Amino acid sequence: MRSRRRWPVNSIAALFCLVWIFPVYWMVNTAFKARPEVLTPTPHFLPEHPTLDNFVRAVGQEQFLADLRNSVIVVAATVAASIALGIFAAAALSRFRFTGRRTIMVVILAVQMLPGTALLIPMFAMFNSVDLLGTYAALVLADVATVLPFSIWVMRGFFVAIPHEVEEAAQIDGAGPWRILFSVLFPLVAPGVIATSIFAFIAAWNDYLFAYTFMPDESRYTLPVWLASFANPHTGTDFGAQMAASVLFSVPVVVFFLVIQRNLVAGMSAGAVKG
Amino acid sequence: MSTATASRDATRPPPAAPEAAPRARRRDLTPLWLLSPAGLVLVAVTLAPIGFLVLTSFTNYNQRTLFTGAYRGVGLDQYATLLADPAFWASLLRTVLFTAAMVAGSVLLGMGVSHLLTRLGRYWRYTVTIVLIVAWAMPNVASSLVWNWLFQPGYGVLNWMLDELRVFGDTTDLNWAQDPALAYVSIWLLIVWQAVPFIALTLNAAETQVPAEYLESARLDGARECTVYRRITLTFLRPTLLLVTILSVIWDYNVFNQIWLVSRGGPGDATATLGVFTYKTAFVGFRIGQGAAISVVTTLLLLGLTAVYIRNLLRAGEDL
Repeated sequence: MRSRRRWPVNSIAALFCLVWIFPVYWMVNTAFKARPEVLTPTPHFLPEHPTLDNFVRAVGQEQFLADLRNSVIVVAATVAASIALGIFAAAALSRFRFTGRRTIMVVILAVQMLPGTALLIPMFAMFNSVDLLGTYAALVLADVATVLPFSIWVMRGFFVAIPHEVEEAAQIDGAGPWRILFSVLFPLVAPGVIATSIFAFIAAWNDYLFAYTFMPDESRYTLPVWLASFANPHTGTDFGAQMAASVLFSVPVVVFFLVIQRNLVAGMSAGAVKG
Repeated sequence: MSTATASRDATRPPPAAPEAAPRARRRDLTPLWLLSPAGLVLVAVTLAPIGFLVLTSFTNYNQRTLFTGAYRGVGLDQYATLLADPAFWASLLRTVLFTAAMVAGSVLLGMGVSHLLTRLGRYWRYTVTIVLIVAWAMPNVASSLVWNWLFQPGYGVLNWMLDELRVFGDTTDLNWAQDPALAYVSIWLLIVWQAVPFIALTLNAAETQVPAEYLESARLDGARECTVYRRITLTFLRPTLLLVTILSVIWDYNVFNQIWLVSRGGPGDATATLGVFTYKTAFVGFRIGQGAAISVVTTLLLLGLTAVYIRNLLRAGEDL
């Protein structure tokens, strides 16, 4: 009986999909257009002669490789540090009870609800006084400040999900706490660690505010800042190249989102990937 | 107490057992060792800066300080200046109104999409989910730039579409970023576009947990669909809805990148919400002490809501 009435609901769904995917479609569409076709009075809804010119122009920019390198270094260091430090903290907060545990969790969650400027301003002043502005270290420290707390929180969730019987069995076999941690718990949370690393990657990869403020020199731009720097009020923005660059920048994130979609909701509510 | 906690306590040897005591004491140090590396880093990169932020807000830290390192305490002067500054009050008011508009838009639409998902067959359900995830995944820097291109005066596809509607006259050169109302509309659309997926998918996860017997028996009793939704589904959704709404308020209140990249807070200060206002004060005018004071006030204003959210999240986390 209900299937006969499916078409109105389906058309709403179709309309929704059309509207919601449109900006992404338009980005991709523009990216593959030849340069003169980008700026036409009547927009073309499909590229007449699909070409990779825009991608070539985007990637061929003088700063691209340097900026890509900056991003890779900062993101890799941030993810590595957050996971390495976070996994032990997550283990402590999930498998043990001790005084102050709740306070630590409150701090971890509270830090993520702060406005961006609450860390940006003091860090800028502190880094300035020790001459760290413009260095990778400054940006990694700032990114760790946002990524480490949610990494701990998300990984804690994976530790909590391991039944205590597993630990008890190892205990009965005579394993000490460290042995249990390394040989029993870590292998069990490995998939969770991978999911958390992906969250950490996305957050660090997308960071704009810290990179934009701490790395004013063009040679130290990260990719988000590079992307935004295409907008040039004087010479006019090269929208074709900018959209091509946006596609390149977004693809890894979109792929990762699809990979971890089952964990998305839990990670988001802990502040992993902000809107 | 949750079941996990109960079973955890049950595994502990009773405190009176003499042979278990030393082992328990030795074990007590393990969490300290596990926590201290992350703990030290967190203190250095979060608590210390927050402490310094508060300290800075009581000083005259400014552009000159960046070179000379000299600054001195000025008591509550920064806060007095701030509270006497009409630009601050204007910014606060616009932040509150804009946040309310964004949250209302994204939560209502999110509820609609969540409900829509429950009514769809497998094919459409899958398609809508993929569309949601792709929109959600777009890095906000990229989507802000896409927005600028969609709304570009002269060649932007949105102006062309509006033009084709033949309702608003010639809209080809409509400059969205240069008109206060239009700048708000485009930023509102951007934020809502990015926020709906998370809200819809989170609510849908909860909505699929509503027991089918309740819904069916209500329908058998002849209740109309909207009554069923209001009386049963919404009752079950309420806790999730509350969390999602609080989280949206926190995020939308703090939003910076999208506004900065679309309008730079302009035209004039028309879209300068607290985030942009703080940024401009601290990093355009380099009145860092004043910026710190705004940041402290911004944080305090949201503290109550943050506390409610954290309490809820902790409770949910403990129940795992």
